[in-house]
Amino acid sequence: MSEHETAVPGPQGAPTGPAGPTAPTTPAAAPGPEAPAGHTTASGRVPAQPDGGRSRTAVRGLRPPAARYRLRYALWAAGGVVLLALPFYLDRFWLQAGLFAIAAGIGAIGLNLLTGSTGQLSMGHAFFLAVGAYGYCVLAGEGGRSGGHQLVGLGLPSWLAAVLAVALAGAAGGLFSPIAGRLRGAYLGIATLALIFIGQHVLFNATALTGGFNGRPVEPLSLLGITFDDTETVIAAVPFQSAEKLWYVALAALLACALFARGVLRGRPGRALNAIRDHNIAAGVMGVPVARYRAAVFVLSSMYAGLAGVLLALVFQRTVPDYFGMVLSLEYLAMIVIGGLGTVAGAVVGAAFVSLLPQLLTRYSDALPLVSAPGSGGVSPGEASRYLYGAAVVAVVLFLPGGLARLRPSQPARPPKEPV
Amino acid sequence: MTTFLELLLGGLSMGSVYALIALGFVVIFKATEVVNFAHASLLLAGGWVTAVLHDDIGFWPALAVGIASAAAVGASVEFLVMRRYRGQDQSVLAIVTIGVDILITTDLTRRIGTDVLALGDPWGDAVVHLGPVTLPQTRIAALVSATVLIGAFLLVFRYTSWGVAMRAAAEKPETAALMGVRLGRVSLAAWAVAGALAAVAALFLTVFPTPGLERATSLAALKAFPAAILGGLDSTTGALAGGLIVGVTEAMATGYQSQLAFLGRGIGDLAPYLVMVAVLLLRPAGLFGTKEPARV
Amino acid sequence: MTASTAPHEAGPPPLTVSDVTVRFAGLTALDAVSFTVEPGSVHAVIGPNGAGKSTCFNVLSGVYRAASGSVRFGDTELTGLAPHAVAALGIARTFQNLALPPHTTVADSLLLGRHRLMRSGFLAAGLRLPAAVREDRRHRERVREIAAFVGLEADLAAPAGSLPYGKQKLVELARALCMEPRLLLLDEPVAGMTADERQRTAAVVAGVRDGLGISIVLVEHDMGVVMRLADAVTVLDFGKRIGGGTPAQVQSDPAVVRAYLGEEEPAA
Repeated sequence: MSEHETAVPGPQGAPTGPAGPTAPTTPAAAPGPEAPAGHTTASGRVPAQPDGGRSRTAVRGLRPPAARYRLRYALWAAGGVVLLALPFYLDRFWLQAGLFAIAAGIGAIGLNLLTGSTGQLSMGHAFFLAVGAYGYCVLAGEGGRSGGHQLVGLGLPSWLAAVLAVALAGAAGGLFSPIAGRLRGAYLGIATLALIFIGQHVLFNATALTGGFNGRPVEPLSLLGITFDDTETVIAAVPFQSAEKLWYVALAALLACALFARGVLRGRPGRALNAIRDHNIAAGVMGVPVARYRAAVFVLSSMYAGLAGVLLALVFQRTVPDYFGMVLSLEYLAMIVIGGLGTVAGAVVGAAFVSLLPQLLTRYSDALPLVSAPGSGGVSPGEASRYLYGAAVVAVVLFLPGGLARLRPSQPARPPKEPV
Repeated sequence: MTTFLELLLGGLSMGSVYALIALGFVVIFKATEVVNFAHASLLLAGGWVTAVLHDDIGFWPALAVGIASAAAVGASVEFLVMRRYRGQDQSVLAIVTIGVDILITTDLTRRIGTDVLALGDPWGDAVVHLGPVTLPQTRIAALVSATVLIGAFLLVFRYTSWGVAMRAAAEKPETAALMGVRLGRVSLAAWAVAGALAAVAALFLTVFPTPGLERATSLAALKAFPAAILGGLDSTTGALAGGLIVGVTEAMATGYQSQLAFLGRGIGDLAPYLVMVAVLLLRPAGLFGTKEPARV
Repeated sequence: MTASTAPHEAGPPPLTVSDVTVRFAGLTALDAVSFTVEPGSVHAVIGPNGAGKSTCFNVLSGVYRAASGSVRFGDTELTGLAPHAVAALGIARTFQNLALPPHTTVADSLLLGRHRLMRSGFLAAGLRLPAAVREDRRHRERVREIAAFVGLEADLAAPAGSLPYGKQKLVELARALCMEPRLLLLDEPVAGMTADERQRTAAVVAGVRDGLGISIVLVEHDMGVVMRLADAVTVLDFGKRIGGGTPAQVQSDPAVVRAYLGEEEPAA
């Protein structure tokens, strides 16, 4: 104790230094902070793990044991190889299902940034998915007549259209920011219901842009001279059609989105978002402009949804308004809760679970008790999967705080994170 | 002018029905801090029971059973699910209710299928003439019933020990518990009352001129959400005002649809949400809501 | 975020609270309260429960809005500023009831305190731009220094919720220090602590004042700590300022003694 009384306190130099608060004291420049006994500020020295018992929850930035890193890299590499090889082994049905899951993964990462990490509920995710999907169609499409409607199409290069569609989704999120910035948590959830209804209204009525009830066809993506349509290219005796080719684009997009989100969450913005979720008043007092961050994360999450929408459109090859309804928004919320609120991995796991479940049930409905083919009077696969993920949402929050992603054996010592 | 009066009265009548739903929603929020996204499914449950039973036991008993069932569904959701999540973050609670909603709604829509179920109400498609204004009898019945129920509710809320307990629980749960308020009972009652009110609303959402109870009825019930939040989530007065605003807006937008053709078809369904957005832009806490108090 | 770059003159300016009144639905929580915190001093605000001490803090940190009156920090008017704008001026506070997320590590909680001193936005953090990585490393180092100063270095990796209550209060103090404040508002910093922890916290506070020359406003019930640390005291009761001066003056002021010992005072 006495060491503190005599010590010249550490937090010195920076607050009054000429460089102002933005220049944190570099250890060498600090005039006095050497004081606390035993602490050297020699640059770069990472102190020994402070406490054997707790150090397993290694602070990010301190290095976990190399062995664990190596194991993790090995697992990642193995998973990566499997994912890359899948188009050579899976039939089109499963590839498409996988593509939906990947697109959903991207959308779910975005929603998890908003809902899981910031505590802001959104029912409007389907709206931004629609903005991305239809935005792409309008920007890349050629126009002309389809399904009885004269369609507008700008005929931009498809990669540019994809980028602009994501930006458009972000802009749409920005338009909502006066509300997204000021409403908290579940209040925002109700307000965003409006987006679903606005979206549905526009999709059905703005026929020149959307094609109305029948939707509009999707211009295939072409990137670096490769067109991702059904023209066949045979690679290693496997015919590569749109699904096979898109698979790699989608995987790359998912990886980039996941890494970006992880960077955000582990960095300064992520800490601010979590602070808003955990205690919004304290967050403000700590200097976080709460409304601005709420609005910003809403925009970011919309852009993720926009990209997911573009991918979904490319996989579907046709966009129809019915798809982008309330149920879709609920599915995305189910994904992030089931996978794990507030983490990137959770979003991806949950997205895979919720989007593959109906496909699995459809494929194996004959073999499953209680599930029967659609229209035969029993429980259809779609209904069965809704029962399952509805129940999963309720159960996970109670029995598995942190979601399925916390079940991974590789991180036994992580304390369960506060759900939302 | 006649059209306007008809629309206004019809809108007020529908608005009073939305107010019934919104009131239950607000009551749950006040008592338990839960934003109940499963509210539409409670309504659907009440309506479905009434629809299924009315042929066998007659309309009034069927309605009574329907109301009781919706109250029971509400109470069981509270008792079996929400009670175990007490103390969780508000957004998490809201998502749990979404899970509940998915479960109940999936089950009921599966049972309803593509059918349109009649509830067997005694009013049929009869109309009433009030001077130049013509209104369906059902609308009058809705207005009268909703007014009576809301009035009774407000009296109970204000003057009975249950109402006092509820308001105390909403104000400061810990203190209320120390003063002997049984929070469990208060929230159970809130959910039951909300379910019962929703079942009554289900009746009036599905009678003439609406064809009957169908899958889409839960979408109609969703209009109570903008009603509740534009009035202010924590205000019973707000729920009433919000319900009426939503009802009248919807009726006007639908009635003058031809003049609003440039906005597209079905603008009536959208109008309540647009009004909600407009109100929230000006008053984020709703018309009668209190700004969330900072407790630090 | 531009405000955080405002150059600071050496040493904090005085904090002048004049005629601040706060009302909640008919209840007057603060009634024309005035006091001045001299630069570099420890100013204690004391009073019985419900006297308005926490309300006063909430006004100073921008959480509550005053119905009338003014709070000036040097030349800057604080009333009407949002909490983050107040923080940007170099005003940090702790909370009476802990406002620490229990599952977040101490290190991350302290880094939140550095928020206003850091720059990286979504893009830089998401792309892990070198500038963001460097900045992060620099601030983690500084966080470690401050943790060491407060005596928390061994707990940086632990989730805050796993620490004993007294230590969690220290984490709050350290988080406020991480903001490199010019004015520090401490809301009952030793409440709920063991004697040992009290002593340590008091030592830290004294060290901060002596070493950094920043101003501190202290709300505290522990008279021992108040008498030991405070240069000046303001006494509130039922939202009114009923006395003030040096600790010794206040101790012998009959009005203060009455407020504390409770002549015909209704139960709070």
